[in-house]
Amino acid sequence: MSDVAVLAEEQKDGVALFLPEPYDIVWSLIVLLIIAFFFYRYFMPKFQAIFDERASRIEGGMAKAEQAQLEAEAAKKKYEDQLDNAKIEAAKIRDDARNEASRIVADARTKAEADAAQIAANAQQAIASQKQQAMVSLKGDVGALATALAGKILGAQLADNQVQSHMLDSMIEDIESESASKEK
Amino acid sequence: MDLTGIQELTTSAGDAVRSVVVHASQAATSVCASMSGAEGYSSAHSASGAMVLAADGPHYPTVNEFLPDEILFQGTPFALNRIILIRLVATVVLLLVLGITAKRAKLVPGRWQGAVEWVLEFVRDNIVYQVMGELRGKRYVPMVTTVFLTILVFNLCGIIPGMNMAATATITMPLLFALWCFCQYWIAGIREKGLGAFLKEELFPKGVPGPIYVLLAPIQLLELLIIRPLSLTIRLFANMLSGHITVAVCFAATQWFFIEMHNLAFAPFGVLTFAAGFAMTCFEILVAALQAFIFAILTTAYINLSYPELED
Repeated sequence: MSDVAVLAEEQKDGVALFLPEPYDIVWSLIVLLIIAFFFYRYFMPKFQAIFDERASRIEGGMAKAEQAQLEAEAAKKKYEDQLDNAKIEAAKIRDDARNEASRIVADARTKAEADAAQIAANAQQAIASQKQQAMVSLKGDVGALATALAGKILGAQLADNQVQSHMLDSMIEDIESESASKEK
Repeated sequence: MDLTGIQELTTSAGDAVRSVVVHASQAATSVCASMSGAEGYSSAHSASGAMVLAADGPHYPTVNEFLPDEILFQGTPFALNRIILIRLVATVVLLLVLGITAKRAKLVPGRWQGAVEWVLEFVRDNIVYQVMGELRGKRYVPMVTTVFLTILVFNLCGIIPGMNMAATATITMPLLFALWCFCQYWIAGIREKGLGAFLKEELFPKGVPGPIYVLLAPIQLLELLIIRPLSLTIRLFANMLSGHITVAVCFAATQWFFIEMHNLAFAPFGVLTFAAGFAMTCFEILVAALQAFIFAILTTAYINLSYPELED
């Protein structure tokens, strides 16, 4: 009943709902073409570009961060290597210095010892040679003196050389033993 | 074809809701009318006296609202009527809003741009890529986005005060979208398989015993040529049509109960029908989005059917 009431007023045929009017087709087509053109040519590419750029920026940012991380790690490694090297070098330098010092000390000692020994040896040698010299000269002097003395005392008796020397020797021995006993 | 006939065409659950609301409101008003002594209510109506009617019953919506008079350029192919005007305004608004959004689009989106991008990504990921996969779907993203956003905005005109009529509420607009989809799935089928192989696969699906093809092939052909585009068209059109009628019936009844009855005793009925109208308006927002979504996802699915089956 109510349906009849609804449709009662000057009613167009419902079938007309399903029959497109030519002007409706024209306007729908125009509208659709304009909208589709807008979407295909402007709107979608624009947003696609934005999506793409955003994605690439994010990826780029991540790559950059990774790069920075790598660089930081490299720098840290380099620094640590340098630190290690420096430590090793310092240790080496210290060792070297220590070695050098002990070498210098040892050298100095050796040299000093050698010098001391040399000096002592030289002194000894000098002493010995002087003593020798003194002995020789003394011997010569004493001999000559004694000869002269004895010659004077004994005269020509001691002309014979062999006797002379024998006598001299015994005399010197006597003197020496005399002086030795004196020293005691 | 009458109102119930149109309603029977629609198949979604939403139409059951609408049907109940419409019939309840109509029953309430007719009962109240007879109670209040509106003599000869039904007989007057069936006598189709328009002047008498206006005084007696609520101004229920009729089919005429969907067949409005031409108001400009009458009789030419460029004639304008109310619905076409709504469509033009909606188009201008859509293009302006999205155009300005695109023009001002930045790499770091603001709130509005974020919302628009959310919709774009929803269409791309949840409709196109979900159905077709990214590889095939890429080509159709602009089309499906266009279809979805346009239908959504056109549908929403139905609940915008002053318009109160979906721009998709004449058969032509849904039909054009459906024909676009029709062209796309034929083109996709011919491009991907070749016309012969495409038709053979569609008309003679594998795994069916020979004699069945006598029945199946014509049905499949009918499906491919008529049923698919027509079901797309009618689903959207009838939803918009019945949605408008439901809301209009509720508010017409409200108007009648509150004002034209001149009797405060009927105000509670008016409150009821107004509440129903309010609820149905909210429901139409949902339906507007839902129908846009369904149209878009079916378009994608039909195109996808033309592609060879994925070997995986």
